[in-house]
Amino acid sequence: MTGTWRIAVVGVVLAVMLGALGLRLWTIQVTETDEYTAEAERNLIRVVPTPAPRGDILDRNGELLAGTKASLAAVVDMALVDDDFQEGLAQRLSAFLNQPASEILERFENANSGAQIILAEDLTERQALIIFEHREDFPGVAVIPQPIRDYPGGDLAAQVLGYIGKPSEADLERPGVKGTDVVGKAGIERFYDDRLRGVEGVIKYQVDAGRSVLQRLGEQESAPGDNLVLTIDSGIQAQLQDSLEAGLGLARELEMAERREALEEENGDIRSRLFLAREAAQLEATRAALEAEAAAENSAEEGIAADEDSVAVDTAVEIDEGKVLGSLYPGLPIDGEGVCVPVQRVEVGVASRTLLSGIKERTMRLEAVVQDRSRRIAVVDIDGERFEVEEGDSFATTLRVIAVTDDDIVVSHTDKWCPVRAVGVVEDPNDGSIIAMASYPSFEPAAFVSGLTQTEWESLGTINAFTNFAVQGQYAPASTFKTVSYVLAMEEGVYPLDRPVGDRILGDEHTEAAPPGEEGGAEEEGGAEEGGGAEEEGGAEEEPVQPIPSDSELKPLTSDTDLYNCTGSLRFQFNDGSSQVYRDWKRNGHGPLDLHGALQASCDLYFWEISLRIWNERSDETGINNEDLWQEWARSFGFGTESGIDLPFEKPGLIPDRQWFRDEQRKDTGRVRSTGPWVGGDLMNAIVGQGAVLVTPLQLANGFSAMLNGGTLWTPRVVSEMVDQGGNVVDENPKSVIQTIDMDPATVRTLRRDMQQVVNGPIGTSRAAFIGFGPNVSTVGGKTGTAEIIKATEDVQEVDTAWFVGVAPVLSPDYVVTVVVERGGSGGRVAAPVARQVLQYILNGERAVTSLEAGADTD
Amino acid sequence: MSITTERSQISLLRRDRKLRPDWLLLIAYTALSALGLLMIYTASAPRLEAIGVSPTRELEQQAAFVLIGFMAFGVVSLIKVVTIRPWVSAIYLGSIVTLVLVLSPLGSSVKGAQRWMQLGPIRFQPSEIAKLAVILALAALLSAAARPMRWDRVARAVVLVAVPSVLIFRQPDLGTMLTFGFIAGVMIFVAGATWRQMAALIVAGLVGTVALFQVGAIQEYQITRLTAFLDPVTDVLGAQYNQFQSQVAIGTGGLFGKGLFNGTQTNLRFVPEQSSDFIFTAVGEQLGFAGSFIVLVLFGIIIWRVLVSAANASGRFGQLISTGVAALLAFHVFVNVGMTVRLMPVTGLPLPFMSSGGTVFVMMSIALGLAHSTWMRRPTLPMERSAAS
Repeated sequence: MTGTWRIAVVGVVLAVMLGALGLRLWTIQVTETDEYTAEAERNLIRVVPTPAPRGDILDRNGELLAGTKASLAAVVDMALVDDDFQEGLAQRLSAFLNQPASEILERFENANSGAQIILAEDLTERQALIIFEHREDFPGVAVIPQPIRDYPGGDLAAQVLGYIGKPSEADLERPGVKGTDVVGKAGIERFYDDRLRGVEGVIKYQVDAGRSVLQRLGEQESAPGDNLVLTIDSGIQAQLQDSLEAGLGLARELEMAERREALEEENGDIRSRLFLAREAAQLEATRAALEAEAAAENSAEEGIAADEDSVAVDTAVEIDEGKVLGSLYPGLPIDGEGVCVPVQRVEVGVASRTLLSGIKERTMRLEAVVQDRSRRIAVVDIDGERFEVEEGDSFATTLRVIAVTDDDIVVSHTDKWCPVRAVGVVEDPNDGSIIAMASYPSFEPAAFVSGLTQTEWESLGTINAFTNFAVQGQYAPASTFKTVSYVLAMEEGVYPLDRPVGDRILGDEHTEAAPPGEEGGAEEEGGAEEGGGAEEEGGAEEEPVQPIPSDSELKPLTSDTDLYNCTGSLRFQFNDGSSQVYRDWKRNGHGPLDLHGALQASCDLYFWEISLRIWNERSDETGINNEDLWQEWARSFGFGTESGIDLPFEKPGLIPDRQWFRDEQRKDTGRVRSTGPWVGGDLMNAIVGQGAVLVTPLQLANGFSAMLNGGTLWTPRVVSEMVDQGGNVVDENPKSVIQTIDMDPATVRTLRRDMQQVVNGPIGTSRAAFIGFGPNVSTVGGKTGTAEIIKATEDVQEVDTAWFVGVAPVLSPDYVVTVVVERGGSGGRVAAPVARQVLQYILNGERAVTSLEAGADTD
Repeated sequence: MSITTERSQISLLRRDRKLRPDWLLLIAYTALSALGLLMIYTASAPRLEAIGVSPTRELEQQAAFVLIGFMAFGVVSLIKVVTIRPWVSAIYLGSIVTLVLVLSPLGSSVKGAQRWMQLGPIRFQPSEIAKLAVILALAALLSAAARPMRWDRVARAVVLVAVPSVLIFRQPDLGTMLTFGFIAGVMIFVAGATWRQMAALIVAGLVGTVALFQVGAIQEYQITRLTAFLDPVTDVLGAQYNQFQSQVAIGTGGLFGKGLFNGTQTNLRFVPEQSSDFIFTAVGEQLGFAGSFIVLVLFGIIIWRVLVSAANASGRFGQLISTGVAALLAFHVFVNVGMTVRLMPVTGLPLPFMSSGGTVFVMMSIALGLAHSTWMRRPTLPMERSAAS
């Protein structure tokens, strides 16, 4: 081939290029290397990052919820400290930082040569000045401004704000995040971390061969993060938190009263009398002990710290010697005061006893600790039953061993029936703004800044204090969900059959309409949730006296004002002769009611009948498929999907349907019964907010907002806008509509009126809770709910989730208040009074809030 | 010459089928990749440790790319270059499309420049791919050129290079643009351009560059970066901070370097971008002139072997590809190393086989694989070979 000479020319050119590089390298690295070495010594430049202050978080009125405190930190740059100089420096620093020199030296030695060690976080002005003025004595030590996160409100809106901490591996993947940074781990701190964090700055220092700072070469200032303005109102938030705390206390007192009653009923039972006597004595003793303690140390610490103090129960009392390691529930009475405790950490010495909270209290005694090779086995006696356990074991259903030492045992104990948590949300139905949101027990975000101790972390973690249950908690909504069916009935014209008595015969075509016997026991997560009172009765059930008309002989009601006879029970008779009875929460029924009365009195039967009509007419000859009619209505109000609120970890809730049911069976999750298809009974359960239906408190507030504002489903939000340091709005989180539901204005009007009647009317389920509300009670509406959760143990049959959704002013709603008390009992009795306090605060001011008292035991 | 004897015939047939790898090239390529990994580890580990993540994180990432690159090299070596020829226009057009896309919102920006494309889980730099596409396209166009070359073909070659250049200039990526110019010049020359045509190209290039400055199409920071290296040390925190620190670091390396992990400058974060653009600084400081020289020699070997493959190529297409690859590698090495010793301005061209980065490593491996493929299929009959070997 010709032209190879051209390649040779190219080769020469490329060789010259490489040669030039070689020559240049020779010059720099060999000929002039001394000059460069000197240059390097002269021009050692240290780049010290300066953290950007995190943006503030303000409530809707500009009140500071999370801010940044300026502090000065002493940072040692190990690259600038000669090995043989470390000891001297440690000595000098120790003198004025008040830290032992040996400790400082140890940190020096453990650090790698490039590390920058923060020796002191909160220097005084004077200390900082000394370092500045005597730089030659402190080579490598720099004073840099260090912003510290500050939460002036204590636990105010703690779960909404979240907390900050060291970045996880996943956090480090994000741009601009270093292992030494702090990032938001939960709540707004997490969701808006990128906005809050700002951009780190740097200071460049020139240091000489002697490694002391010659001069500050320049500084690139850090850019602080944006400030966030929330939709939260601090006042209402504080009231909500107070009321939730009080509400949980109330629920626990009521629970204890019930337990006492149950014990007293056991006539002749020695244990009950013993228990009562014991408890009285103990109450006395504890009070005395606490008083003595209070007198001894006047300075009561606040918050977590105080609650972590071990509370020793006076040894004079019969049941006593165990040490309760903190109540875990800040602010609530501790164990031994006659109030149940959902989670206990108990430490018991050998031959000592302690009391375990429970439906029937038990005593636990540590008999002995046996050393078996490397294992320590504790011999524990619980009311006469012996257990041999070691660390990590779970035993006696409710106990778990945390640690076993030579002479004591630490156990964690759960009382599954004790009210555990109260959650509340206040939303503005006009734009989806969250005005208040809290769950109790709570925590103080500031605790994370200085670092939680292991015990603090474990204690608060055990009770999920860090979790925002308003968006992460999923509960059966119970009767509050009847409003969805109410809207459905009004909009679709689906009303019950006009039935003289509650019994119905199930012919062949209806067999699948009622649940098979095992329905009542369908397992749900955390226990079984059951239909509003389904009871199975065997074939022994006596035959109905009257002939029962079949469904086809009955005419449906045609309007919302037609009366339905709510007899208190619905009996299904199967072909095999067995029958099953669905009972209303009110055993004797409510009498004749129309749709409005059914909602006000929360009549289960009326809504079951609606579900039976949907079920029976789910497909007709015209080809209409109404299989999912109820599900579609429920989903249109945002149930079953994440609302899209600007908070992390939101849960979707669940609206069950045939497909879901089938999938669960196939996946064998144990959440649904294993045999048989989705049947009418499942829909009956769902329509009254039981069975598999799950909602978050936020979803319920948001769904009610949509129903009450005429059909606009908003995306709920907690942040409204982002503001820069100068106060200028740099960005917004504008209100946004998820969807608009076409609702007849008449439906909205009557729903508001009926909710007003729930609070004010003669048959209203929350009437009792609102007695003594003060002015403006007529502008308040609401709906109660009581979800029955079956705990499968021998001791107890059920625990209830108490719900209340309140609204005010009811004719043009500005506030929707949702309250749920987990294992709280009746909605009307426990949840409604909590919401009542919040509404009193909103409508009549802080002074109008009256003390918390139990309402009536209603559905 | 006794091709008529039975023995020769058999051996001829056998050798024709047999692919003979270029062991020297393979050794240099592997050695540079391995040294690159070592340097990336020494440069990144202290920094990663300081921020609290696994010190081998960057090493592991790059090692994965190196493996992919080796595989790509192997596969491409087994492909006959002429079989690529029908695909060249598609490759070229596809590359232009990705260059357009990267300017759209689909591209993501790093440090103010839009250079990245996200395709599912894969993130790559279209400008790196474009280098390969341009070499292939130029080879296809110029291999059909008459001798002496006609002016219209020169013009077509210029247009071929100008289109991606303009797109890359918008990113902006000045280094890649200059690479195109250099590759095009070398390939047009080897394809048989007259001295007059070469002179015209050079003049046109200079005029074009000046025009860009005049129109103001070049950003101010680019001008600063380009000219800063000419100034004496005035402001060590200014535009030439990186370069100055790099030069000092290499200078302190001396004859044999400070040893691994003892490079105070590189290991202590004085030099930014150490594992990507300034990886050679880590070599210079830690391994001294000896190490730097070995790296240059290894590159020299690769470029020499690639040029030899060009000289022995059985066809003009293969010959031009090899030429283009040699120009590409040499230009990258010259500009990159030149940058670290303040001989060239900072333009952000990575050091082949050593700088961290997936697209660059794989692309350079494919380029080298093309040249190697040409070598493995070189004609064995002496009469068919060109005289220069």
